[in-house]
Amino acid sequence: MTSTQHTPTPDSGTRPIELGFALVDERELASFARHERLTRDDYLDPLGEARDCVALPDDAEPTHFFLGSEFCEHLLPSVEAIDRAVALCERWGLTFGLVTPIACDGLFPPLRAALARLPAGAEVTVNDWGIARLVQREFPDLRPVAGRLLGKMLKDPRLPSATWARMYPNGLRAGPFRDILDGLGIGRLELDFPPFGAADMYAGIDFPVGVRAPYGYIAKGRICKLGSLSLDSPEKFSPGHKCRRECLGFNEVGARPGTNELPTSQRGNTMYYRHAKGMATAVAEAVKNGWVNRIVLSGA
Amino acid sequence: MRITAPISTPAEVEPLVRAGARELYCGVVPPDWIQRFNTSGVNRRVFGNLNGYADLERVVDKATALDAEVFLVLNAQQYGEQHLDALTEIGTRFRSIGGKAAIVADISLIASLAANVPDLDIHVSSVATCRNVESARFFAALGANRIILPRDVTVAEIGAITEALPDLDIEAFVLNDGCVFEEGTCHTVHLPMNKGGPICIDNYQFEYRATDGGQPHERALRRLEQNDLDYKRWLWYRFGNGFSTAPNGYPWGPCGVCAMPAMHAAGVHAVKIAGREGASERKIKSVELVARVLERIAAGEPEDAVREFAVGLRDAPSHCAGGYMCYYPEVRSQQAVGDAEAKVPTAA
Repeated sequence: MTSTQHTPTPDSGTRPIELGFALVDERELASFARHERLTRDDYLDPLGEARDCVALPDDAEPTHFFLGSEFCEHLLPSVEAIDRAVALCERWGLTFGLVTPIACDGLFPPLRAALARLPAGAEVTVNDWGIARLVQREFPDLRPVAGRLLGKMLKDPRLPSATWARMYPNGLRAGPFRDILDGLGIGRLELDFPPFGAADMYAGIDFPVGVRAPYGYIAKGRICKLGSLSLDSPEKFSPGHKCRRECLGFNEVGARPGTNELPTSQRGNTMYYRHAKGMATAVAEAVKNGWVNRIVLSGA
Repeated sequence: MRITAPISTPAEVEPLVRAGARELYCGVVPPDWIQRFNTSGVNRRVFGNLNGYADLERVVDKATALDAEVFLVLNAQQYGEQHLDALTEIGTRFRSIGGKAAIVADISLIASLAANVPDLDIHVSSVATCRNVESARFFAALGANRIILPRDVTVAEIGAITEALPDLDIEAFVLNDGCVFEEGTCHTVHLPMNKGGPICIDNYQFEYRATDGGQPHERALRRLEQNDLDYKRWLWYRFGNGFSTAPNGYPWGPCGVCAMPAMHAAGVHAVKIAGREGASERKIKSVELVARVLERIAAGEPEDAVREFAVGLRDAPSHCAGGYMCYYPEVRSQQAVGDAEAKVPTAA
């Protein structure tokens, strides 16, 4: 009864892995700008001790550099920062990508201005169907990628067992999903690797798949505890207010007492888990088999 | 503006319609679903579903006799491709017995229902996190007749969408059941309470770190700790003021009744009362509360007077004063809360 059946794309295991780094805080561009070219260590070093939770093929070298937030409309990079990142990517010989969040209508004017600064062929990670429409209609030279907010799947690090995870399958192989992404000109998926994920969990998906590592996102709100730090009620913990970007200065780390779950953190409006080493191994296995052909490194 | 109310049993149809609801929404788990898919997850609620197709038919019959419409909730955040045909069959069956619309979040299911059950209306669930004009256009192009906006939007944002898309029905939350994260971007389940419950109130013990890895300065820590206390109080309101009710029986918890005049002026088609899993009495009192405000609007009372009336309905305006109980805190009535400003209760 579903509309279309699709044939999976051929195994892409023979192609080299793509390696990206995603930066949210535009102020950190300065530390990258000192490099004439970027190496994998330049991507791994900012992760600190979390780099131990990443397993990369020996020949993985940077191919992409991303700027922007998937999770917060207050963190859209300035056009100056975008110009600088685009120029750096030209120098490094990397593809630039702008990362965008779910948006209220107020974000669209600055977003249009940001998109207008991108060179043809730049990627735009979209996490909002409206932004996907905008890119398709007004910026056809850009390449939209479906971000991990559009690739719905269960990622609760508290699940007691893999049985729980199997009760909520994802719909990434559904024919209509493919048709809709095709219709929007989206040719790639960027996903998280979930707790209890197996190496072959993205096998047979009819899109090139990128995985974010070593942090997966669990949940994100529009209400931001930390972003309300300087506000008084009723603006505190409400939508539509200004933000001082406190999340760029602080994060929260911790756990549920008495558990051995994945390390968890909260940064601004978003909760994350950090990959266990076994998850990194599974991602590496997925890369080796061509089920994942890009790894995007980013912090929490 | 219509009232959209939750039901979980046929017995709730008549009292809710009599109280003022013109639209009812419900879920059902077909008898063979669990056997086929080893899960009861047909929608976002494990509990609060009707007890099979016979009850669904009774609900539709009773509602139709009372001139009310029934919507079926199929709003899981995502379904596996193996579920789509079964869900489309459910939609077909629901339409054949007189159901009006399906409430859907998964875009594949929206496309499948639009293609295969064309006379079934599609209401895009708040779980789809549609909160801008372009996104609403996207869902309309897929076949949606209505957008149910997520909880955390402003009235101005609602107005921008209704103004840009006057032919698309817009529904907005007005009462009960807060969600801390955006529903459609929260990739968790509400675990049983002995395993942690909703993640937003689970027992995580976090400590602040500066992003350079060090400890925040003491002054910053004090501000952060105070902010945490404020947040805890906000959470208490988000979870129904400790799941309590006012002395007159009206429910506490996330509320937008004083924003109803503004939503009406903006062209909102329906206001949603959440809480399918709640007790019948809570649902009925919720509809009564909203209907009393709607009556004032329908009678043409000035907006300020309606807001004042709305804030006074539970006879304890102090809860309204802080804004933490509000879906739309930007329109809370300063005038009505008056001297109660200083008496904001603390979290239990």
